[in-house]
Amino acid sequence: MPIDRALIRKKSTVYAQTLLEALPDDAARFAASGELEQVLTTTRGHLELRNTLTDHTLTPESRAAILREVFTGFREELLVVLSVVVERDDLGILGRINERYLELLEETLNAVILDVTTVVELDDGLRESIKKRFSSQFGKTVLLREHIDASLLGGIVISTHGSRIDASVQTQLASARKALVQKW
Amino acid sequence: MRTTLKRLLTAATLAMISLLALPVLAFASEAEEGGGSAMGVGLLFPSLGEWIPMLIGFIVLWVILAKFGWPAFIGMIDKRTATIKDSLERAEAARIESEHILEENKLQLDEAKKQATQIIADAKVTGDTLRAEIMTQAQEDARLLIERANSAIETEKKAAIAQLQSSVADLSVSIAGRLIGSDLNESDHRRLIEHYLAEAGNLNAN
Repeated sequence: MPIDRALIRKKSTVYAQTLLEALPDDAARFAASGELEQVLTTTRGHLELRNTLTDHTLTPESRAAILREVFTGFREELLVVLSVVVERDDLGILGRINERYLELLEETLNAVILDVTTVVELDDGLRESIKKRFSSQFGKTVLLREHIDASLLGGIVISTHGSRIDASVQTQLASARKALVQKW
Repeated sequence: MRTTLKRLLTAATLAMISLLALPVLAFASEAEEGGGSAMGVGLLFPSLGEWIPMLIGFIVLWVILAKFGWPAFIGMIDKRTATIKDSLERAEAARIESEHILEENKLQLDEAKKQATQIIADAKVTGDTLRAEIMTQAQEDARLLIERANSAIETEKKAAIAQLQSSVADLSVSIAGRLIGSDLNESDHRRLIEHYLAEAGNLNAN
């Protein structure tokens, strides 16, 4: 429904803009993007938590309190905005809020944010290599949100705005396995 | 028949007349030989005075019989003759009918035998045809069964081979993953990242 999509985009923008303006500086805004991503991943991965946060038998205040309890240690500004999201029963558009926040953050910072996943922590040399490699492509400053995932076995996965480069050993082995089975 | 009876009746009449005439001749002979005695053989024959009324009576009786008795008798005989003739004719007709029926029965029997023979022959042909059809159907069923069994075996074989290949591939990948995971240190991982970065393409810019 176009009207629903427009409404969702509008609501997502309001939440994202509010969060962006609530945070004191660019560093906090950038760090909050990682925390928001983490909240999104956690609620998507835990059905029980998601059901609890959307349970209408609980009061909105109770749902917000549970959210604060689960994500203790996250930035207060982020928790305030997310409490409103939960109280207004808008948890279903959290993905869209995250996307809009990243878009607005990139506009504010005039940068491109890349999610980089590796098995080991990046060193400065690698960070610079990645930034250099993609800043020339996008013509903007590149900011990295780093993630560690041992299941990749090796290599690197880079993604932004739905685009993805998967150069992980796990994917290489999966391709090798597929080619092996097809060859037989 | 009627003519024969009339002849017999005439002959009997003449014989009776001759017989009635004999005593007169005998009496004359005895009278001549015995001198007219009424004794001896003459006692056996009536006198002339008795003979004439007897003759008259006989004639009257004959006339009555000729007028009323003989026609009735002849009529009865004719009737009987007709009855016998009719019976004979009917018997002959019955015999002919019987022969005809017998002939028909014989023909029907022959026809029945022919039909029975034909039915047996048809039944044999039908039986042979049916047996051939059953054999053909059985052979076809057996062929399809074997074909399906072969197909199922082939499918199972392919599935087993595919599963085996998949298992081998999984095992190979797993071993490779473990070797890589255990053999690579942080420095190796970083070199690998650099290597992949150099080979990786561009991200699609929105």
